[in-house]
Amino acid sequence: MTGNESRVRVAFGVLNALSASVLLVGVFGVVQPRFWALDAPAAIIALVELVSAVGLLAKLPWAERALSIAAWVTFVLGMLIVSLVLLTITFLRGIHGDYGLAALAVSSLIIALLVPYTVVLPALELLWLKRRRAEPRP
Amino acid sequence: MTWRTFLRLLAIWIGCLVFCALSIFFSVRIDRSRVAPGPYVVTVWERGQRSARQVVNGEQELTHALEAESAPRGAQRIVERIVDSAPIFGHSWLMIGLSMVPGQDGLFVEFDGRTRYMTPDDLRKLEAYEHTIPIGPLSLILGIDVSRVLGALARELATDPDELLRRGRFRRFAVVSDAPYPRKVSELEITAATVKDSIQGAARYLVRNQQHDGSFRYELNAMSGGESEVYNYPRHAGATYFLARTANQLRDERVLRAAERAGSFMKDRTTLQCGSHACVGTGDRVDIGSSSLALLAYVELLEGGLEAFRAPALQLAAFLRSQQRPDGEFKHFYNVAEQRAIDAQVEYYTGEATFALSRVQRVSRDPNDLEAARRGLSFLVARSPWFLGSHYFWGAEHWTCQALADLWQRAPDRVALQFCLDWQAVNRNLQFEAPPAPTTHDGSISRGPFMAPRLTPTASRLEAAVATLEVAYAAGLPPAQIDVLEHQVKRAFAFLLRYQFSPGPTHLMPKPRALEGGFPGSSIDLHVRIDYPQHAAGALLRYWELAYAGEPH
Repeated sequence: MTGNESRVRVAFGVLNALSASVLLVGVFGVVQPRFWALDAPAAIIALVELVSAVGLLAKLPWAERALSIAAWVTFVLGMLIVSLVLLTITFLRGIHGDYGLAALAVSSLIIALLVPYTVVLPALELLWLKRRRAEPRP
Repeated sequence: MTWRTFLRLLAIWIGCLVFCALSIFFSVRIDRSRVAPGPYVVTVWERGQRSARQVVNGEQELTHALEAESAPRGAQRIVERIVDSAPIFGHSWLMIGLSMVPGQDGLFVEFDGRTRYMTPDDLRKLEAYEHTIPIGPLSLILGIDVSRVLGALARELATDPDELLRRGRFRRFAVVSDAPYPRKVSELEITAATVKDSIQGAARYLVRNQQHDGSFRYELNAMSGGESEVYNYPRHAGATYFLARTANQLRDERVLRAAERAGSFMKDRTTLQCGSHACVGTGDRVDIGSSSLALLAYVELLEGGLEAFRAPALQLAAFLRSQQRPDGEFKHFYNVAEQRAIDAQVEYYTGEATFALSRVQRVSRDPNDLEAARRGLSFLVARSPWFLGSHYFWGAEHWTCQALADLWQRAPDRVALQFCLDWQAVNRNLQFEAPPAPTTHDGSISRGPFMAPRLTPTASRLEAAVATLEVAYAAGLPPAQIDVLEHQVKRAFAFLLRYQFSPGPTHLMPKPRALEGGFPGSSIDLHVRIDYPQHAAGALLRYWELAYAGEPH
C-alpha cells in the first residue's frame, strides 16, 4: 500500500467515524421522541459507517469491503432522504403557496446539512474504491 | 464507477427529481389571486343552519339563484365564488388531510355522477379545520378532520365514508366569499374611534355573559351556540381585571358594576388561607397566578372607588411577597393542606406576580411592594452572557414588559427595556406579512407556515408590545425605532379587529347576539373563551390609554 493510499484510507476512516458520531448524537441524543422511521435508517447508516471506520483505521483485511457496503448504504439512503425532503417541500409549497422565507431557509438548511454526509462523502468513497479496483495489483 | 459515469447518474437523478418536483408543484398549486371564473356556490343560512344550496355557473344565473329561499326574515344568502381548484392525488385520507389549507380551502367530491361542495363556510360550521393525529410518537397536524368531513359528505351522498373515499374523486378549491367576515381592516383604520368601539364591544360581551353570582359563561361556541362546563379562576381574575380597567378608563358605570360582581365572586368564594396570608384558589394546592391576577383586578376596582377591595388587595400583596425568593424569583405554588410553599416554577406566574406587586404599590404605598416588583423584574430579564441562545429563544411570557412599563417612572430598568425591545424584534420576525401571506392574516403572529394564526397569542404579545412602546416614548428612544414598533402594533391590531365578532359570521351562528363583541380563538376556532377578549381588548385598551386617552372624542 502506497503512502497516498494509506492517507486516503485514514481520511475516510476518520470521516466515516465523524459522520456516524454526528448522526448518533444528532438523532439519538438530540431528537425526541423516538420514532422508528427516523431511528432505523439513522442506526443502520451509523452502524455500517462505524464498522468501516474501524476497519480502515485498524487496517483490517475486510476494510475496503466494509467501506464499499457503508458507502452504498449511505449513498442510497441519502439520495432517498434528500429526494423525499425535496419532494415534500415542493408539495407543501404547492399546497400552501409562498409560506415565507423562514420556512424556505429551514428546508434549505436541512438539505445543506444532509448532502455532504449522505451524498458527497459516500460518492467520493465509491469513486476511490472503483479506481483502486481498476488499478493493476502487484 | 468512473467520474463520468458518476456525473451522468447524478445528472439523471437531479433531472428526475426536478421533473417530479415541478409536476407535483404545478398539479397541486392553486392561484388564489385569480379573478373568480366560477362556479358559484350559493347558500342560504337560517339561524346558523344551511337551509338551501345551489351551484351556478354564470353571472346571469347567480343574480336570481335562491332568491325566494333567501327572502324570509333572518335568512342570509352567501355566495362563495370558486377562484381555482386542484386535484387531490390518491384515495387516501392522509393525502386529503395534507392537501387542505386550514381556513382557506374547500373540498369538492364527485361520486357516482353526483357532486358535492364542502365550502370553507361548511368546514367552519362543521368545526373540521385543523386536526391533530398521532403518527407513532409524533403529532401530525392535518388541514382538516378527514373523518368528520367524509362523514358529512357521505351522509349527503347517501353512502358510507369508506366507499366515498375509495370511489370518490376529490379536488380542493379556493373561494372568494361575499360574507362580511372577516372584516376588511387595515392599519390605517386603527383610530381612536375603532379602538374604543372594539374595547367597548369586548367589555359588553363579558357583561352580557356574566351570571348572577358574578362568574362568566366561560367559553361559548359560536358555531353550535353551546357553552363549556369547565371554569378557570385565573382567567376569571384576568377578565375581571380587564373589565375594571375598562370601566376606569372609559368611565363606564355598567362595566364597573360587572367588574365589582366578578371581583366579589373571587373575594367571597375563592379566598383561602395560605399560612398567615390570604390567597386565591381552590383545592389543596394553589398557584400564585390566581392571586396575582386577582390582585391586579382588586387594584383596578380600588381605583374605581370600591374600598371593599383594599384589605383583600393588601393581604394578597403580602402573600405574594412571602412567596418571593432572595434572588427575585417566586415560589409558584402553595400547599394549603400542609401550609407550606412549593418552590416550583411554570411560565407566566413570575411576570404576573411582579406586575401585580408593582400595581398594588400605587395604592398600598408600601416600599416593600415596589422593591419586590423591582427584584422580580430584574430576575425576569437577566440573561446569561455565556449563553448565546438567550438572545434567540423566547417564550410567550407577556407580563414582564407590562411590569417594566408600570415600574418605569418609579424604578426604571434599562436592561428590562432592552429585553422587551429584543422580544418585540423577534415577534416582528414571526409576524405574517401580506403578501405572501393571505391579507386576512397580515399582522398576526405565526404558529408555523401551515396553520391558521391564533388571536390570543398575537393579543398577549401586543399587550407587551404596547407596554414596550409606552416605555420607548418615555425613555426617548429614536423616532425610527418607535415607528417600527408602532407599525408592528397597528398591523397586529388590524388583524384582531378583522376577526372580532362585530357582529361576526352571523350566518353560521345560531345565537349571534350572545357572541357580539367577543374575540374568537382563530379564523377557524370560532369559540370565545373569557380570556380571549381580555387579552385582545386589554391590548387595545393599553394603546387607547397611550395614544388617545387625552384626545377629545
